[in-house]
Amino acid sequence: MQIGFYFDQTRCIGCSACVVACKDWNDIPAGPENWMRIIYNEEGKFPNVFVSYIINPCFHCKDPVCIPVCPVNAITKREEDGIVIVDSDKCIGNEECDTKCLKACPYDAPQFGHEKGAKMRKCNFCLDRYLEGKLPVCIESCRTRALDAGILEDLESKYGNIKNADNFTYSQRTKPAIIFKSKNK
Amino acid sequence: MENQENKANDGDIKIVRTASTFDCGGRCPLKLHIKEGKIIRVEGDDYGHKDEQLRTCLRCRALRQYVYHPERLKYPLKRDGPKGSGNFKRVSWDKALTEIAEKLKEVKKKYGNSSIFLVTGGAYQGAYHDGVFAMIRLLTQFGGYSTHYGNVSSEGAVYATQTQYTSPFVGHSRTDLLNSKLIIMWGWDPARMISGTDTIFNLIKAKEKGIKIICIDPRYTDSAVVLADQWIPIIPGTDTAMMVAMAYIIIDENLHDQEFLDKYTVGFEKFKEYVLGIEDGISKTPEWAEKITSVPAETIANLAREYATTKPSALMDCQGPARSAVGELYNRCAMTLTAITGNVGKHGGSAAGGLMGIPYGHMFFASRIPPPYRNPVETGLKSVRGSLDLQLRFQARCHTNKIFDAILKGKEGGYSFDVKFAWFVNNNFLNQLGNANKSAKALKKLDYMVVADLWLTPTARYADIILPVTSIAEKSDLVRPWPSGPYFIYANQVIEPVGECKSDLRIAEELADKLELEEFEKYPDEKKALRFLIKLREDTRKNIRNIDKFRQDGIHRLELEKPYVAFKEQIQDIENNPFNTPSGKIEIFSQRIADLNNPENPPIPKYMERWEGRYDPLNKRYPIQLISPHPKNRVHSELYLVEWLKEVEPHVAWVNPVDAEARGIKDGDEILVFNDRGKLTIRAWLTERIIPGVICIFEGTWYDPDENGVDRGGCVNTLTKDAYSPGGASALNSCLVDFKKFKGGA
Repeated sequence: MQIGFYFDQTRCIGCSACVVACKDWNDIPAGPENWMRIIYNEEGKFPNVFVSYIINPCFHCKDPVCIPVCPVNAITKREEDGIVIVDSDKCIGNEECDTKCLKACPYDAPQFGHEKGAKMRKCNFCLDRYLEGKLPVCIESCRTRALDAGILEDLESKYGNIKNADNFTYSQRTKPAIIFKSKNK
Repeated sequence: MENQENKANDGDIKIVRTASTFDCGGRCPLKLHIKEGKIIRVEGDDYGHKDEQLRTCLRCRALRQYVYHPERLKYPLKRDGPKGSGNFKRVSWDKALTEIAEKLKEVKKKYGNSSIFLVTGGAYQGAYHDGVFAMIRLLTQFGGYSTHYGNVSSEGAVYATQTQYTSPFVGHSRTDLLNSKLIIMWGWDPARMISGTDTIFNLIKAKEKGIKIICIDPRYTDSAVVLADQWIPIIPGTDTAMMVAMAYIIIDENLHDQEFLDKYTVGFEKFKEYVLGIEDGISKTPEWAEKITSVPAETIANLAREYATTKPSALMDCQGPARSAVGELYNRCAMTLTAITGNVGKHGGSAAGGLMGIPYGHMFFASRIPPPYRNPVETGLKSVRGSLDLQLRFQARCHTNKIFDAILKGKEGGYSFDVKFAWFVNNNFLNQLGNANKSAKALKKLDYMVVADLWLTPTARYADIILPVTSIAEKSDLVRPWPSGPYFIYANQVIEPVGECKSDLRIAEELADKLELEEFEKYPDEKKALRFLIKLREDTRKNIRNIDKFRQDGIHRLELEKPYVAFKEQIQDIENNPFNTPSGKIEIFSQRIADLNNPENPPIPKYMERWEGRYDPLNKRYPIQLISPHPKNRVHSELYLVEWLKEVEPHVAWVNPVDAEARGIKDGDEILVFNDRGKLTIRAWLTERIIPGVICIFEGTWYDPDENGVDRGGCVNTLTKDAYSPGGASALNSCLVDFKKFKGGA
């Protein structure tokens, strides 16, 4: 089984409620470690402007390239649901391995705090909530209901199978578990 | 660090229901997770289907960092250095309140009660613990006080709606947006400025239903990004010219609803004479408006036709453009358009008027303990009831945007009082009113000042005594939404007070003892008092049958049969339900204003050029218009220190690349923005989302002048003017500046 995200790009106002909710739920201090990010895109010339946002958690790829590059096998993909998780106790930190996982990931999902030797942490689909049958906190925090999550197959039958969006390219190599309603220029 | 899989699942977590109480335009149910007496997480509304939930925004998602922020005030402080230095020492409550009481008695004896100045704002609102009401009650019973008139946010809209409808309840339920066929969002960005918790989502649903949405704004706002089928950029301060030109097309092409105008309005003929140029020889054609607004004549004409022929249409004029020297004329022009097209009182229509509130569960009806009698300082004055004469408001008060001018100049400056003692509650006005440098000067001169707040704000830095106040998490209270609803909220106390913080009510009660005010009634039992307040107001008394359930749920939702529509009763049966105006109709022409005989305050809405706009001669020296909209990651200046919020959007100025290139400025450069009132530094964000000739700095970052007097905090009010429109709008968006690359120094 594979879980995944759905993102309606036409609804996102870039408000960052999901970003803050993620930090609050997962108790992450202010700083560079952001399990959820929002990427801004602006094109055109006044007054013909186009703006879009993309969410950027970990996409829990079907073929996660972060796993094989980790020198200590700290990253695993759960068989039962496809959630990619990291054992931060095993992780040897950003200095010793030079953030190989982050460099391998096309979406910059692996995150590190600003301290020396920071261990990798990242979006875990709110595993604690997931095990209680709840959606990730980012989904429930979205004021415009632009986000959904669940079993990828179910999401696909509900929302379709669009794998690309503005300012987002589907990686054939890693196969990110996200589908979109894309914003058109 | 942890293995993500093995994260312990704690069983001993308690959920307590409270709500947001910021001055944000939202009221959101919150579920706080408590472990060992500490808030560990925030969750939002969990009611019914996800589309029905009142989902909170990023601000309250960060509530935990707000409540536990290391810089929260925890103890009473006494100034221990020059005013403004920020040097304070900890004192006991007893010492602080004794000193304040002695000072109050001394000032009262020496100078009289009018020298006691109560300065109130809209931050961290409540009912039972509400600071403004607690202090009004206390100081009334102490013999009275001076205060101010006019709210900073929306006074233009207040004056406009009083003029034409004589009612502030001009809004519809947000679900009624879905009954519209065309929505015009004028100066309205509810993605940032909440305008009701459910507003942005209903707009999105309206768009997805196929309803066309047009945004008119100097900026391509965050709301426009998702909603706008069309963005019409406009020069700030010229909105009324475009509205008047729309009226020209509608009248000229006979698209107006004459039957509606005849039946429900007075004064259309006079407005028509102005629009067609019979009054002043100038036809207000789209070509005339194009020269003023920069909006192409064809765009104006097409919008006018579309608006007049698509029914129902909702013209949603927000308050920002009225927060200017143009003020009330902006909302009055918008209201007039809604009357000309017959969109008032109808589902899917809009009466405009900026305030957007509905009379159910509204904050205006909050249940509070009233003072037993009128403020003695304000007795025996001429009545303001029904009058549009702003001067009557200033018989004993100053305008809110003149608070610091009044402190500086007192009676010599024409004010009705000399301030010798000031109590600031629920505000950070040095930061949030016009001309911060002047405000700082006034506070340096002020004899004695008390600030009750959660933070050592730029205003509090000038206090003699600072009293630390509890956050909503540390007390129970009743709170209400204002621009939309309808629902009532019971906020439950979540944690014990941080440090030695007390609520404003408790502060007032303890101060009453020090002042030996035995008649000051106390309500020590919170639970009992809240029960009393629920029963005190008719709407809560009738609707909330089970108070225990209300407390448990934290919210009571009102189910309306149909979405609320402003003035529906008047439009259905004007004979039996006249408007509250003297004529009983919508007053496009106001005899009450005509009687004031003030050429700056015309009886019909008009385009008028005002100071510090595009066509002010001062534009030659300061060619850039500064606008200061609501920030997305604060509520005005509240929540400013919260890191989770700070990091989602750095404080930057929106600058069009055309203006940047002319000044050799690149994206990310630190710039100095300046005029005769002050200088501030901020980073430039180059974006095509703003009309050239305009710079946008979001209000609310904290004023922080360096040794050269340059505000390094980028507080926009370092540049704005402490002035108001003829109807009383705080004119913060009428402000001319220039900017250049900052190279250090002054």
